[in-house]
Amino acid sequence: MSEIGRRFTARRVNRKEGQRRAQESHSCCSALLVASFGKVTIVQGMASLKRLETEFPILDPDFQSFCALRGIFTVQDFLIRDLQSLVADAEQQPSSERFMQAINQVLYVIDGLHQPWLNGVDLMEDAQKNKHVLSTGCEGMDFLLRGGLRRGQVTELAGPSSSGKTQFCLLTASTVAYKHMGGVIYIDTGNSFSAKRIARFLNQISCPASEEMQPRVLQEVMNSILCHSVYDIFSMFDVLHCLESKLKYQMCRGDNDERLIIIDSISSLITPILGSSGSQGRALMVSAMSLLKKLAHEYNLAVLVTNHTVGGDGGIPKPALGESWKTLPHVRLLLSRDCGSNTYQVSLLKHPSIASGKAAKFIIND
Amino acid sequence: MEVGRLPISAALKGKLVSAGYTSLSLLSSLSPSHLARDLNISENEALDILKHAPHDGRIDTSGGHHIISGAQTAWDMLHEEELLTRITTSSVDIDNILGGGISCREVTEIGGVPGIGKTQLGIQLAVNVQLPVHCGGLGGKAIYIDTEGSFMVERVLQIAEACWDDMLANNAISQNVHAGQVGMQPKDFLENILYFRVCSYTEQIALINYLDKFISEHRDVKIVVVDSITFHFRQDFEDMALRTRLLSGMALKLMKLAKKFCLAVVLLNQVTTKYAEGSFQLTLALGDSWSHACTNRIILYWNGNERYAYIDKSPSLRSASAPYAVTARGIRNNVSNCKRIKLM
Repeated sequence: MSEIGRRFTARRVNRKEGQRRAQESHSCCSALLVASFGKVTIVQGMASLKRLETEFPILDPDFQSFCALRGIFTVQDFLIRDLQSLVADAEQQPSSERFMQAINQVLYVIDGLHQPWLNGVDLMEDAQKNKHVLSTGCEGMDFLLRGGLRRGQVTELAGPSSSGKTQFCLLTASTVAYKHMGGVIYIDTGNSFSAKRIARFLNQISCPASEEMQPRVLQEVMNSILCHSVYDIFSMFDVLHCLESKLKYQMCRGDNDERLIIIDSISSLITPILGSSGSQGRALMVSAMSLLKKLAHEYNLAVLVTNHTVGGDGGIPKPALGESWKTLPHVRLLLSRDCGSNTYQVSLLKHPSIASGKAAKFIIND
Repeated sequence: MEVGRLPISAALKGKLVSAGYTSLSLLSSLSPSHLARDLNISENEALDILKHAPHDGRIDTSGGHHIISGAQTAWDMLHEEELLTRITTSSVDIDNILGGGISCREVTEIGGVPGIGKTQLGIQLAVNVQLPVHCGGLGGKAIYIDTEGSFMVERVLQIAEACWDDMLANNAISQNVHAGQVGMQPKDFLENILYFRVCSYTEQIALINYLDKFISEHRDVKIVVVDSITFHFRQDFEDMALRTRLLSGMALKLMKLAKKFCLAVVLLNQVTTKYAEGSFQLTLALGDSWSHACTNRIILYWNGNERYAYIDKSPSLRSASAPYAVTARGIRNNVSNCKRIKLM
């Protein structure tokens, strides 16, 4: 960007001096070329009115200088400004009709930027067609969750150490890969992904009579489970963004087969940044969950995250990550294991459509 | 991608947002000097920020499975796991429950009451890792991080000599002498143990941060033993929240080390009492949040007069316990005449 562009940016920051500086750069405005704003896209909402002129000739330089006098240079400024006063001002101008048309044009562009409104019928159709339930491979858990993990929802599994969270994640990954023929993305923060265990689970699921699964079938199923090791939250953001682009591309081609994202465990990524001075840690946590929820909803994925527990009142373990975390996942489960055995107990802490407090037991065999 | 998700300081994020850059695509065509002028920061800082701007080549849409760089399929990992060798503990019973020994690419925590043999086990592993692969080691060096001062060089020499005797005996029986390995003297074992002594928690954290660079220069390190990991965090820490953050950050770094350099990380931990379910129980130190920092956990305990090792947490091994003994030659299988010393 040139000297002109630099003044332009400075102007966005100092809106109070908008009028004075607008006079200064008024003459520069008309000299600006479209090319210098080439990279700014309409989708970001930061499109300048200058850029829109090429597509909508009604936004001519007169209208642009009318807006510039009021400190409006981009679509975003338009959104922030008081529309009533702008309309009132426009009516007092000599070419008020053209200005009104231009204002309407910009509003039309803005309308095209947000997601389409959905009504209840659309949502119901979407739920029935896309948001199915994935069985977890574990009867007690499926019974508790009325079928299993629902696509489009984020499920949290909390439990004390060695209570079976990783085992449950591996079992769910194997079941989804085998029964639902879907892709599984396993994001592992503690080097606990064990391919041998997955192979054992797959043998159990497919051939209960303890035969070996055919290597070719085993290879195909295991090739649909992808494992990532991440060790800090920013790497996790990178992985999720790459995944988002990949899913977008697959959606265009129509062959989307990813079904499940597992993050084991998300609490070990968030704990190092949570609670320090400033709310940056909490902001990152909320940002991560909103990204996961967006991926879950738009691409019809189920998301399973694990959390550890900390001591609560009276020594009863409660899930970690604090109060603000409690509102983020859709479904929350608390897991515990009977000492030294293979029997696990799970209770429902939060669910959008089932009463909380229900519990179930299940066994995971070796 | 939002600016809020960048790994930069909060002050820089604030400057970016107030200058109008709320999304990364706006940064993708800027030069560092321009950004530095806009934000009033140094050019180095601007370069740091722009490192994270998306480049066109980063997002590969060719539609293959390995688009997300760094991903591995479970099938490939299965083969890798089968090829992974383990470090023997010199006790056949413990090796059996561990599936062959301590495995690489994982962080193993070993905890127990004082006097049970944690340091002995740590020293035994530091010696065993130097054995050639056919004897149960990995032919590599060891890093020993001592926080308590319980590392006794004379004991290491004793264990090394016993190990060397065993190796000679095995070589004589199997007549499988590799050139150059019979020439290994007990003192050579000492040379391959790299020893660090830390005296405060800041030194410990600094050392673990430094290990990444150190190990990339000493690629033949195959095990890192930290004895004990919790000692400096147990006393004199007023700010518990800071302690939790430091410990979880340290745990992640150790995990990353283990995976990146394909080595074993062994953490030795102490015990403390916990009040749960109406009674006092022994549990590993540093609480619930630290207990998630390891991949495997082995608990050493007394059963009557004998020492036992119990697998408490593992993604792929069954829970089992095995007896062992601490002898003059190091950790060995349990022989019934090893008695516990009763304190009067």
